Amino acid sequence: MMKLRLNTSVEIKDVLQNVPTPTLVRIPIQKKHKPVVKKKQIVGRGQVVAENPSKNAHGIGYVHSSIDGIVEDVLPDAIVIGPIPAPKEGEEAAAVVRPEPCAELDSLSNEELSRKLLELGIDTSRFHASRALIINGLNPEPGVLVSEQLVKDAQDVLKAGLQILERAIKPGTVKLVVANGKQISLHGCTTVNASDVYPATIDPLVVHAATGSERPDNVDVISISALYRVGLVATTKLPLTEAAVTVGEKVYRVPVGMPVQDLLNAAGVEYGPDWKLALNGPMRGEALSDLSRGIPADCTAVTLVREGLYPSVEPNPCINCGECVLVCPARIQPGMLSRYAEFNMFESTRSQHVDACLECGMCTFVCPANRPVMQYLLLAKKQLAAQDEAVSTCRLQD
Amino acid sequence: MASQDISKKIYSVATAPLWHSGRTLQKNMLQTLLALLPVVAMAVYRYGYDAVEVMAWAGLTAVVTEALVQKLMGQQSTSDDFSALVDGLLFAFLLPATAPAWLVIIGSAVMVILGRMVFGGFGGSPLCAPAVGWAVLAISWPEFMDLNGMLLKWDLVEPLSELKFFGLDAISSISPMSLLLGENLGALGASQAAMVLLAGVYLMARGLVRWFIPVSFLAGVLIAGQVYNLIDPQVHATPLFHLLSGSTLLAAFFLMPYPSSSPAWRLPMLLFGFFGGVMVVVIRTYGIYPDGAAFAVLLANLCTPLFDLIQPKPFGGR
Repeated sequence: MMKLRLNTSVEIKDVLQNVPTPTLVRIPIQKKHKPVVKKKQIVGRGQVVAENPSKNAHGIGYVHSSIDGIVEDVLPDAIVIGPIPAPKEGEEAAAVVRPEPCAELDSLSNEELSRKLLELGIDTSRFHASRALIINGLNPEPGVLVSEQLVKDAQDVLKAGLQILERAIKPGTVKLVVANGKQISLHGCTTVNASDVYPATIDPLVVHAATGSERPDNVDVISISALYRVGLVATTKLPLTEAAVTVGEKVYRVPVGMPVQDLLNAAGVEYGPDWKLALNGPMRGEALSDLSRGIPADCTAVTLVREGLYPSVEPNPCINCGECVLVCPARIQPGMLSRYAEFNMFESTRSQHVDACLECGMCTFVCPANRPVMQYLLLAKKQLAAQDEAVSTCRLQD
Repeated sequence: MASQDISKKIYSVATAPLWHSGRTLQKNMLQTLLALLPVVAMAVYRYGYDAVEVMAWAGLTAVVTEALVQKLMGQQSTSDDFSALVDGLLFAFLLPATAPAWLVIIGSAVMVILGRMVFGGFGGSPLCAPAVGWAVLAISWPEFMDLNGMLLKWDLVEPLSELKFFGLDAISSISPMSLLLGENLGALGASQAAMVLLAGVYLMARGLVRWFIPVSFLAGVLIAGQVYNLIDPQVHATPLFHLLSGSTLLAAFFLMPYPSSSPAWRLPMLLFGFFGGVMVVVIRTYGIYPDGAAFAVLLANLCTPLFDLIQPKPFGGR
């Protein structure tokens, strides 16, 4: 029987890899983003293509073009930027304007600096002033090498990121959590060793390992990848246009919005219709149906799994074996909750603490009945949130 | 052409996680069958063709009954997950080797219907199905289930009946080693103590049976046996005798950890196992049946919802 090891810590052999600049990118945007470019507009690398309309210092970052090109399409979930067509006979080549490095970064501090970082593409929604800051230096999931690769190859960038963060949010203490047995220090912050076996690498459990308390309310946690993004902005003083993405055994510096297909070709990995693909790791990744999707800035990996390697998930009945209960880091009963959700008893899932679920996916991973346990829990959470929203809207109308 | 283009570009998707431990119910049950093979072999070696007949009828009836009832209930057939076959075999292990075919068929059908299907199928039952089948037969046809009476053609004794009806002196010649090797009369599979132990240890090593219930169950048997033995060693058998005789080991590794009828949390599993173990000795000491293991399992099953009330606080709960 196949027994998968869920250790995430690995020995990094390769260095950070580069990929050729793509000619066409599909830069993902979120619902909250407001596109500020029009079709056929010529954009330079680093130019803002979508804004976060709120004026707050903390929120999702602006989105910038990662190549010089022409806006081909503005879609609800992406902005497509293609190659600039060759100038016609007698016309001058279109001028491409790239933004200047932002010199202000060195002088600003506090909220103003946070706002500036947001405008340069950093998601600042998880940064709060004067809280303890915990840096999750564990690889997020088995097979995703990003964190340890960046710690090995991008120390300077991470250090710059930490310095600018210290100016922006003045954290009380900074702790770096790394895998047991690793001796790493980063710009003088305390290093804490913790288990690297998934799901111990997910944020709430890392916070627990670092602080000894579950869900403390004065702690911010960011991943090494997020710190790397801050560091990139801090060192280049240019908007964020790059993601660090694991494909296979290597980690690549990928322009944001590069189509997955181009990345896979550049990485030279085998893929095809008999493979299943996901953005991010194998445990929590988002399934990909379309390889023209662009890589988001916060992407950590592209996961490939050959079809038929693992038993497929089916709506089988729960057999009450209790495997999910034993692996659940949230100490709830995923099997029981999944049955409540299966039969639309959403209120019961609430009383059985479905909101404690950390969404690590271990329950589905171990389920011998091959039930989509976590999906049932997510469904229950979504239904409860929708109910709560409906209730509060009714109250407001009274 | 256009449709071809699309089919080329769209990939099949799956919900997270994309990885799976690779465990399926079918594989688990095949592993269990593999673990039970030595017990089957030993039973055939001891009791000959009679044992083959009983096991065959029990397994066949369990699978066929399940398929029929599932057809009646409009459920998809799940015969291919082998859980019915495993239950049928475990049920056969509790019977005397000379049980008549009609008895085995009735018992096996009752086991599947009352122990599994009325609750919706495997995994829904609050009771251990093989123990239910055994209990129905033991109460309805006690003379056919009496191990001593049914196995007269072998010139041996059944240790638990001897203890019950003739006292401690009658079993003084029975050594723990002979119990372990199954050199006495007993239920056809359950009395092959060494082989059952082997099967249980194999399943625990594969991670298919968690150690919590078997270990606490055996601890319960040993401790309760020791307490009675200390009270009056002239009347009560040694804890080791209780551990190795009757269906204690089969109950520890197969009946008590039956998935749907045992608790899920760690502490409740330990309490559940310990309670069941103590009940075995209590029923053997005061009950009218020589072997109380299956009844102890059923009693513990009834307490499972109570044990399951002991829950840890969810993560971050205050």
